[in-house]
Amino acid sequence: MPEIRQLSEGIFEVTKDKKQLSTLNLDPGKVVYGEKLISVEGDEYRTWDPRRSKLGAMVLKKFDIPLKRNSKVLYLGAASGTTVSHVSDIVSEGAVYSVEFAPRSMRDFIGLASRRKNIFPILADAGKPDSYAHIVEPVDVIFQDVAQPNQAEIAARNAVRFLKKDGYLLLSIKARSIDTAASPKEIFKEEVKKLEQAFEPGFEVLTARELMPYHEDHLGVMARLKK
Amino acid sequence: MKVNTWFGVLELDSNGKTLSSEVFPKDIRELALRSLSLRESRQNLPPEGFDLKTAALECGFTESLSEYYSLLHKVTLETVKLQVSQALTPDQRIIQAVEALDDINETTNSLSERLFEWYGGYFPESGLSGEELAVFISRYGSRENLPPEDPHYLKAKNSMGAKLEAADEVLLKGLAESVCSLYERRKQIEAYIESSMEILAPNLALLAGPMLGARLISIAGSLEKLAAFPSSTIQVIGASKALFKHLRSRAPSPKHGIIYSHPLINTSPWWVRGKVARALAAKLSLAARIDFYSAKRNPSLENELEEKIRKIRAENPRPPQKRQEIRAKPKKKRRK
Repeated sequence: MPEIRQLSEGIFEVTKDKKQLSTLNLDPGKVVYGEKLISVEGDEYRTWDPRRSKLGAMVLKKFDIPLKRNSKVLYLGAASGTTVSHVSDIVSEGAVYSVEFAPRSMRDFIGLASRRKNIFPILADAGKPDSYAHIVEPVDVIFQDVAQPNQAEIAARNAVRFLKKDGYLLLSIKARSIDTAASPKEIFKEEVKKLEQAFEPGFEVLTARELMPYHEDHLGVMARLKK
Repeated sequence: MKVNTWFGVLELDSNGKTLSSEVFPKDIRELALRSLSLRESRQNLPPEGFDLKTAALECGFTESLSEYYSLLHKVTLETVKLQVSQALTPDQRIIQAVEALDDINETTNSLSERLFEWYGGYFPESGLSGEELAVFISRYGSRENLPPEDPHYLKAKNSMGAKLEAADEVLLKGLAESVCSLYERRKQIEAYIESSMEILAPNLALLAGPMLGARLISIAGSLEKLAAFPSSTIQVIGASKALFKHLRSRAPSPKHGIIYSHPLINTSPWWVRGKVARALAAKLSLAARIDFYSAKRNPSLENELEEKIRKIRAENPRPPQKRQEIRAKPKKKRRK
């Protein structure tokens, strides 16, 4: 009999042979990217691979994930929807506005989005939040995984427009997409500084931890808008 | 203040209260098309932090929140489907063709080698390889079937090769036919790329040659991206490993990436190849920009490039032996 422990709302550790990060499957019976399904007393859990998901890695790195059952989320950099599917599981009564720039990734994402009512796909450049301002409502959480050199700026622009006053930003910074040559530690310091100072009102960084061993040269950041 | 939303046009007072509204009919396709045009225009945006769903309920667009979300879900899906279907531009088709060509080349090469090894046991003296061998095997099978007028007839008659059994002959002939048809497919794709490049990027095709031009577009990702690249990037496209090694450590910078396959570079003496590559990349970058923004042929580019290359070659007739030694010394000093 698998053992289940809740790590935070909607996020579980299921122990069957080994410990596995999981979420409750909102779309029972369906697998998104080859993950395992584990049924326990009528509930179906979907395993979540932290090596394929920055957010999953942040959970295991003991970030205080602010997602609730009815959270509204703006997800920047949805790609083909691996992590979005788990966010969709967690915010089962909320909404995930999922922005992706590449039509090729969106093609794969559409199948997933059409089966899950709480996913709202948007094909747009996350650096231009104006282009989806007529669709997206104020959100509780912005999650960003875009691997762009100006990711701090992108986070700021979206937060100013869409993040509620008491909302949170979850951000994954990939050192190699900012500068291929500089040392990751230096880059992280710079980026955190940018988040704190480069715009009004600026972010207050609550947690910043590297995502080793799940992702190399990545920094996970949790922040909220300064009061 | 007038505000555009996906479900209608609202008139707001200074506190963000809705004064009046004009809501759109609940037709998914119509709403998706409107959403697309709003995405482009970005006019009369909602104010920061504006609560769309509450406004939608207030102005009577939907009865309930669940209806709002259900409609929005359908409209966003329809919108991205429209966008994805429009995303397959002519340069994307060329990129697919280039990649298919690379796959075919890889496959035909390894299959041809297999055929050479396999058939070599039965007729090692044929002296054929590649496409010729494939055509030969698919036509005759065993060397015993050669007609006397064939130029290989004598060699075949005196061959030391083993006897080809019927079962093996069927297999080899079938494999050879597959290889032949792969060679056919390759020619077909090459012709397709050449004619498409002529229409999509005539200047790039003229300066780089259609295949190299298509490869540049393929690695850049699109003609638009290639047109946005600085010429120094175009110069080293395809040499990313060497480039990053140079940026991270003290390795020398690469002089050329895939543009090395251009005859102007690979027929130049080694000591001017860097200069030629730089001049060529500069003109290729101009060509890509002209192609992306106007697609009109500009014959002066080719003449300018030839003139430039002639000058480079004339100014550097001999390899720069001594200057290299002189250059090496101050480098050592800097290290201290």
